[in-house]
Amino acid sequence: MTHTIQTMTTLPPQESDNIAASLRKRPRIRESIIQGFLFFCGALSVITTLGIVYELGKESLNFFVKVQWEETNKELAQAIGAGDTVFEVTTTGSALAEETVIRMGEEQMLLVTINGTSLEVVRGYEGTAPVEHNSGVGIAFAQKVSVFEFLTGTEWSPQVGKFGILPLLNATLMTTLFAMLIALPIGMSIAIYLSEYATDKRRRVLKPILEVLAGIPTVVYGFFALTFMTPLLRLMFGSDTVSIYNTASAGIVIGILIIPLVSSMGEDALSAVPRALREAAYGLGATRLETAVKVVVPAAISGLVAAIIVALSRAIGETMIVAIAAGAGPAFTFNPFAAAETMTGHIVRISGGDLSYDSIDYNSLFAVGLLLFFFTLGLNIFSQRIVRRFREVYE
Amino acid sequence: MTNRQTLPETPQTGEYASNLPSRHRWSTFWRGVFRISTVIGMIVLVALLLNILNSALGYAAIENEVDPASLAINGYTIEQLHRDDLVFILEQNVSAGVFRKLANDIPFDQRDREDVYALVLEWVVAPQVVQTWPLYDSLFRRAAVQAEAAAEYPEAELRFISWLDGDFVGNPQSSEPEKAGVRTAFLGSLWVILITIIFAFPLGVGAAIYLEEYADAGNRINRILQTNINNLAGVPSIIYGILGLAIFVRAMGTLTSGAFLGAADPATANGRTILSAGLTMGLLILPLIIINSQEAIKAVSNSLRQASFGLGATKWQTVWNHVLPGALPGILTGTILAISRAVGETAPLVVIGASTFITTDPAGPFAKFTTLPIQIYQWTARPQAEFHNIAAAAILVLLILLLSLNATAIIIRNRYSRKM
Amino acid sequence: MKSRTHFFALLILCLALTACGGQPTAPPQAASTDTPATEEITEPTETVAEEGMLPAVDPLAVTGDIIASGSSTVFPLAEAMAERFQDEGYAGNITIDSIGSGAGIERFCVAGESDIATASRAIKDTEIESCRAIGREPVEFRVGTDALAIVVSAENDFVDNLTFEQLVAIFSGQAVTWADVDASFPAEPIQLFSPGSDSGTFDYFVEFIFAKDETLLLNAPGIQLSEDDNVLVQGVLGSPYAIGYYGFAYYVENADALKVLSVEGVAPNQEDVDNGTYPLARPLFLYSDAAIMQEKPQVAAFINYFLTYVNEEIDAVGYFAAPEEALNEARQNWLDALAD
Repeated sequence: MTHTIQTMTTLPPQESDNIAASLRKRPRIRESIIQGFLFFCGALSVITTLGIVYELGKESLNFFVKVQWEETNKELAQAIGAGDTVFEVTTTGSALAEETVIRMGEEQMLLVTINGTSLEVVRGYEGTAPVEHNSGVGIAFAQKVSVFEFLTGTEWSPQVGKFGILPLLNATLMTTLFAMLIALPIGMSIAIYLSEYATDKRRRVLKPILEVLAGIPTVVYGFFALTFMTPLLRLMFGSDTVSIYNTASAGIVIGILIIPLVSSMGEDALSAVPRALREAAYGLGATRLETAVKVVVPAAISGLVAAIIVALSRAIGETMIVAIAAGAGPAFTFNPFAAAETMTGHIVRISGGDLSYDSIDYNSLFAVGLLLFFFTLGLNIFSQRIVRRFREVYE
Repeated sequence: MTNRQTLPETPQTGEYASNLPSRHRWSTFWRGVFRISTVIGMIVLVALLLNILNSALGYAAIENEVDPASLAINGYTIEQLHRDDLVFILEQNVSAGVFRKLANDIPFDQRDREDVYALVLEWVVAPQVVQTWPLYDSLFRRAAVQAEAAAEYPEAELRFISWLDGDFVGNPQSSEPEKAGVRTAFLGSLWVILITIIFAFPLGVGAAIYLEEYADAGNRINRILQTNINNLAGVPSIIYGILGLAIFVRAMGTLTSGAFLGAADPATANGRTILSAGLTMGLLILPLIIINSQEAIKAVSNSLRQASFGLGATKWQTVWNHVLPGALPGILTGTILAISRAVGETAPLVVIGASTFITTDPAGPFAKFTTLPIQIYQWTARPQAEFHNIAAAAILVLLILLLSLNATAIIIRNRYSRKM
Repeated sequence: MKSRTHFFALLILCLALTACGGQPTAPPQAASTDTPATEEITEPTETVAEEGMLPAVDPLAVTGDIIASGSSTVFPLAEAMAERFQDEGYAGNITIDSIGSGAGIERFCVAGESDIATASRAIKDTEIESCRAIGREPVEFRVGTDALAIVVSAENDFVDNLTFEQLVAIFSGQAVTWADVDASFPAEPIQLFSPGSDSGTFDYFVEFIFAKDETLLLNAPGIQLSEDDNVLVQGVLGSPYAIGYYGFAYYVENADALKVLSVEGVAPNQEDVDNGTYPLARPLFLYSDAAIMQEKPQVAAFINYFLTYVNEEIDAVGYFAAPEEALNEARQNWLDALAD
């Protein structure tokens, strides 16, 4: 039988309005609130960064701009009047240099000549009023640190006014290098093993066990480096070449600390690659190794690089291990078996130190922290550029 | 079925056939390398744990400060004496102040004999450890250890003790290694880590969701945000301590000290509380959680999202019901690594104001506190060797705490992880 | 024999203080101070007791919180005293932070957050001024002495004593081998170990050996610096040709493997440290403020307790007792602070 199909080309007027209305995009309050909250979460990281930069920058500005007064432990040997330009000082304390500004009490003076313990000065320097001083008043000398000297100097000895950051930076780089030499190969291999080769059951057991490495307090690692790794290195390379504090053992132990960062995060990234890719590779006759290395790893590159960046950042920022195992003496050396203090070790040592709190040593640690911050920032920007280049190819 | 036809000889088949064995050999070789790496990781872990255990257990030569035999009255040893005689011995041998305090806590006529006997042992006989030997020596060179003990400490009793025992976990701090415990530090660590997780986990995951789902990825601002977060992961922890000091302790002092809630005496309250510490640690681990969560969310396949949208779900419904469950294993890995980091931090907490010696348990988030790593660091810096032993025991407590915290996350992670 | 000298010293001290202070202080009865701590009789009294300068304190009756922070050297001693105070009945909350002398004084004088600052060095003038700026006047209490031990490995059989000149030569790097120090010593290179430049031990060593010029020590070639004294011990143990210096307590704990050297013929023992003939001995201090001690009687009670019983605990911790005169001066400072 025939059956006429009636098609409605238009809806009756009221219904169409209703449906059209109900299909229109409605502002969903809950969605907006949630989105706002999530944006706040993201913004929090920016606020934190701004806070860090502000705190560090404020004190670093103090360090670079203001004149710092360093106590020499020298004192006036005699009382002097407001007009005396030649006087005697004690023999104790650090040496003074000519053509420098010194300070007694509130008054600043320009040191013209030094004859043994006798100083000749210009009084009332920099607009300060010349006054009389009693015997025994301490002398401080002016230190001004320029940013250029800070960044390029190769000696860090605040006591003599040398503020070159290169020794500390160099030591940081060396420990980080050793750390990555250990953590990258081992961590990556473990990650590949866990995701490609291990059975499910084994992975569920091994992964958390290895994560325990990340949880051992860094103090333990520090002493492990000192009591286990250094003797091991001494056994391998001889007691004479390896000194008791050295950057190599600190670096190796930092590497052990960050193995779980690379392996766990790497394993996550590799596991997240869809099985279809692997099966396609197997279907084309690839061996397990080839699948893992040529197909899965490139597909997971963004996660792997994130893991490497996190591990690298952790290695650079590690404090306790280097403080214990690498020594407390800044030294500019490329010998990994010698002691050299890193930037972070220096910050920890000075901030917990016994001596005067407001000294130039203390103020310098903010500048060191700020440099560290910008250094890791540079590293991150650089690696992000590389990641973006790779990601375009395999996306 | 098509007819079986021989494949035409292609230029590559000759080479193809011949390099297959070498490819297999390479594959086996590298499989061995990967396996060995895992074994190396395990070996290192075991070496570290054995190093710790070596100090935490072992033989100890214990000498009594006062020989129990000398306390005998009328030929009756202290094991045989009645309570009142024991009280008498106690009174004669401890300082007046201690005796008063013990009497004040519970009057002696209300204590039973075992209780008073225990007090006599603790305060009068006062066993002291004079020498310890590491576990390795105690197990494998037992004869040598016994000979040494007999030669140098003839009056001491040689006993195999574990420094980690119930007393150790239950006692507050003390300046004597035999009496010292980690109760206050353990509770402090627990409180701090709880506040850290409560603060950092939602914020971190939220930030990751925002960056991956809602924000436009190519946008300049978002790239800067991303670089920024990666950078924060590398800032040394002590800088976070300085930041926390400036913000949470000083600037937000009224909030973090509990003064606004009336929970603290306004005259002595300051911001150096568990709350400040938890918030600072939260900031420290936030980048780690964000980065891990981001990677996990990125890995969820797009088709899942689009299927959800296709069915009419809103963005948030998609995220909550589909993306997050899929990303959960990765998020939890990040959480585990972050907690591991936060639990072991010393330097920033010292800057915030964690005490090194405190004997009252933290009563809430507005209390003063100390943590396990601070105790460990303090004890390892002491000259007396027994302090190193209890430091090792404290490290074991820390690891057990860490494992229990991580266990929940690991179980959830295992349940949700499935190969896609 | 000693009590007589002490009694006269005390009398003169009190007369001097009376002359300076202008406040009536009851001259304490003699012979109190030879055995520094007797088991005090129970009743707490406000007046000066017959025996001992300070009124007896009953920890059971003391309430309130005490906040102390400062030197990591003084920390073990303060911890022992605080624990003892609590053992005898103190029920409040006492917290001690080990953050360094400088930071401890900063918390006391700049932030005004603590009640007591512990220090292993004397407070500086600039720090006193900061204290005054916030309305606090630091009162000093000397509580003990930490001796620096110059230490070599027990396997070192050739050196027992060093003169000042020899120490300067060794630690500045002028003497490269032991033979340079003394021709009879073996010609092996000297390995130097020292605390880092921010340590109080370092500061003290430099003050006595290098007349406060720290550059000589820091520039010694090959010197190994470390913040952790235990680590330095390991270093010195590692070679018979190593020499280092650190707190005496660290030597005592490892006495079977280390050897302590005499300086200018004087060995570090109680007597020589006490009478000042052993030069490398640094004082340990507590600092508080009179107003705090009056507003918070628990702080005054704790300091009182500390000064009374410190000599019973100080040996176990590894330090030396402060000379009697110094302790009495501290006790007098306590009395003066509360007499206002």
